[in-house]
Amino acid sequence: MTTLSARSEVVAGGPGEVPAGSSDRRPTRNLAPVALVDLLDRLLGAGVFVAGDVVISLAGVDLVEVRLHLLVSSVRAEMAETRRPVP
Amino acid sequence: MSDMPPAPTSADGPEPSVPVSDTATNSATNPATDTVTDSSTGQGSEQGTGRYLYAVCRRLPPGALQGVHGLSGEPLELVEHGDLVAVVSTVPLASFGEDALRRNLEDLSWLESVVRGHDDVVQAVAAHGPVAPMRLATICFDDDAVRARLRQWAVDLGYVLDRVTGSAEWSVKLLELAPQAEALEEAEAPASGAEYLRRRKAAVEQRAASSASAADVADDIHATLACRAKASRQLPPQDPRLSGLSGTMVLNAAYLVPDVDAAEFTAALDELRGRYPSLLIDARGPWPPYSFAMLGQP
Repeated sequence: MTTLSARSEVVAGGPGEVPAGSSDRRPTRNLAPVALVDLLDRLLGAGVFVAGDVVISLAGVDLVEVRLHLLVSSVRAEMAETRRPVP
Repeated sequence: MSDMPPAPTSADGPEPSVPVSDTATNSATNPATDTVTDSSTGQGSEQGTGRYLYAVCRRLPPGALQGVHGLSGEPLELVEHGDLVAVVSTVPLASFGEDALRRNLEDLSWLESVVRGHDDVVQAVAAHGPVAPMRLATICFDDDAVRARLRQWAVDLGYVLDRVTGSAEWSVKLLELAPQAEALEEAEAPASGAEYLRRRKAAVEQRAASSASAADVADDIHATLACRAKASRQLPPQDPRLSGLSGTMVLNAAYLVPDVDAAEFTAALDELRGRYPSLLIDARGPWPPYSFAMLGQP
């Protein structure tokens, strides 16, 4: 199934993940990669950190949540087109 | 908005340039960035640069972020206020200004690259100690504005950083696997009308019991895990097409677990899996404390 998380697994194993554990002399902790869908949950969804006035003219949480809904809709549409039957 | 600095000024970082990494491939090619926006805000916010905030922490060992880049391959820089350190990089407002963000947030590949780039930095910071991750696309005009925010949030940020110190986020999702009743029902034709009705009744009852018990079991599992965590949060269930997980998601929760208790937490997960074999318990972690960094959270 072509899903966000399936794609993110690929990304998670790529060079982008190197910084978490690799870099240097004193990495103190080993953290696991986060799937894209879980990041979206947290970075755009209910898990927002601060209200919007830092974001330049971005009307804060509401706008982002509206956009996320649009995004999810568009993802669903995309999935519907490309989805293969689940084995 | 009211206390925002009046105009974007040139930030301390380098001028925006053509992206050199693949973390933001769209900023060079997205048509949106080439569009001159109508500056209805009258601030010309689509020109110049801003400072993108990834995370706030207390201190970083020298070289801690070596080899890690910000969005568009820009170097990461630190903006300090008191004992707080904001990890930032320069972003072009042509991609991250108000109007551009409106468009770009709907562009899935752009969003994915920014989310991934953001997470890379947060992970790198988290590897060295407590971190308060910022929400996606938290952008200040310049370093003075970043410092002003650190000053404004100092107490709350201190509280957040204290709370997450020595702890990490674990994600636990419970998925109710598809019931087998219907498959059985279709596998053998009923011998009689009465047999058919009896099966229907049994199937309906089983489904009702199963969904009620799934909710009860989810509550039980959540309670079991929550008491082994410093804090917990429930998130909305994910659409299976986004999560790639099949079955009905009956719990999508995050737990802030002290590192020293992580083994006990995962042992509890194993025990729960044994106790509830009909549920898929999908646990991931440890992660940076994304769900536990909200300001003003009790």
